[in-house]
Amino acid sequence: MRGKSPITDDQLLAYFEGALPSVEARELAARLDGDETALARLAEWDRQNAMIRALYDPVAEEPVPARLTDALNSAPGRTGFLLRRIAAAFALLALGAAGGWLASDLRFARVDALADAAIGAHVTYASEVRHPVEVEAAQADHLVAWLSKRLGHDIAAPDFASEGFRLMGGRLLPGRTGPAALFMYENTSGQRISLYVAPSNGGETAFQFSEEGDVKSFWWLDGALSYAVVGNVGREVLRRIALDAYDQLV
Amino acid sequence: MTVLDEIAGHIPALRRYARALVRERDVADDLVQDCLERAVSRQHSWRRDGPLRAWLFRILLNCHRDSLRRRPRQLVAIGDVAQEVARPGNQEAHMAIAEVHRAIAGLPDDQRAALLLVALEGMSFDEAAATLDIPKGTLMSRLARAREKLREITGRDRLQHNTGRHGR
Repeated sequence: MRGKSPITDDQLLAYFEGALPSVEARELAARLDGDETALARLAEWDRQNAMIRALYDPVAEEPVPARLTDALNSAPGRTGFLLRRIAAAFALLALGAAGGWLASDLRFARVDALADAAIGAHVTYASEVRHPVEVEAAQADHLVAWLSKRLGHDIAAPDFASEGFRLMGGRLLPGRTGPAALFMYENTSGQRISLYVAPSNGGETAFQFSEEGDVKSFWWLDGALSYAVVGNVGREVLRRIALDAYDQLV
Repeated sequence: MTVLDEIAGHIPALRRYARALVRERDVADDLVQDCLERAVSRQHSWRRDGPLRAWLFRILLNCHRDSLRRRPRQLVAIGDVAQEVARPGNQEAHMAIAEVHRAIAGLPDDQRAALLLVALEGMSFDEAAATLDIPKGTLMSRLARAREKLREITGRDRLQHNTGRHGR
C-alpha cells in the first residue's frame, strides 16, 4: 500500500458506474490492487445490481397491458395534437398571405407583456421588507384555494426546496387578462424569486427568456394559464426553477 | 417515428421501474398510466429539455410524488426488514432475491428512486441527476447511502459465511 492514498467513496462509486475519465479510471484501478475493502465493496455493488436486475428485469419482458397502450392512443394526444397542428399550419398560411411576419410580431408582443407584468410585480414586492406577501405560507392551503378561486382555475404553489427556496406566501394582483397570482419564495441567504400566474387566452409555448436589468424571467403559456418565474439569480438556477415549476404544474 | 411511438418504446422500462419503486403490480401500472397520460398531453414540450427518457422518468416520479402526497404509503421500517431477513433459513439464492425486494422497499423514497435509475435502468450520473433534478453530488450521496443500507440489510448472512471460511 506504499504511496497509495485511500480511495474515497465518491471515487469508488464513480469508478463503479463508469463515470470517471479513462485516465483517472486506470489510476484508480491500479490503486485498487490490494485494497481489500474497496474490492469487497465493488463486489458487493455488483451483487446488488445483479439482484436488482434479476428481480425486476422480467417486468420489462411482460406484455404491455392494453390500458397503457390505450393511454397513448386515446388521450387527447394522437388526434387532438394532429388537429391542433393542422389548424395551426392553416392559420399560419392564412397569416402568411396577409403579412404573417407582422401578425407574429404582434402575437409575440402580446405574450411578452406577461414577462413585463411578472417582472414588474417581482420588482415591486420582492424588495418589500415588511409586506412582501399578502397571505403567508403558514396559510398555504387557504392562499392556494383563494387564488384559485379568484383566477377561476386550479393553481398550485410549487415546491422549490431542491433549489433552496421556500414559499413565503403570495398575493392577488390585477392583471391585463383578469386577476393574477404571485407566489414569493426566499432562500436562506435572503434571495427572493417569484412565480407569477395569470389567466391566458390559450396557446402553449416553450420556455421564453426575458431580462430587465438584473431581473430575469423564464415564462411560458400553458393552455388556460400563463406562468413566469422571476428573480435576480443566475440564469441556470432560474431555468432549473422554471423546469421544476413546469414539472410540478403539469 | 412520432413522439408517441418513441414514448411507447419506453413503456416496458417505465413499468419495470415503477414496479421496483412501488412493488404492487396494479399500483405500478396505475403510475405508468398517469405518467403516459401526462406525457401525451405535454408531448410537444419535451424536446426543450433533453432526452425523452429522462423526461418520461421525471414525469413518472412526479406522478409518484403526487400519489404519495394524496395517500401516504406505509413504508416498511428498515429495522423490521433487517430482522426479517436475518432469520435463519433465508440464505438460499431465491430467498436472497426476496430479501432484496424487501430491502429496496425499505429504502427511503429518494434513495430508492436514485438507486433504481442507475442500477436498474442503467442511467449515467448525469442523466439520473437530470431526471431527479438534483445536483450530481446529491445523487452520488443518495446512491452511496442506498447501497450501504442495502448492504446492511442483505449482506448480514453472507458476511457471516465469509467469516466462517476465513476461520477454516
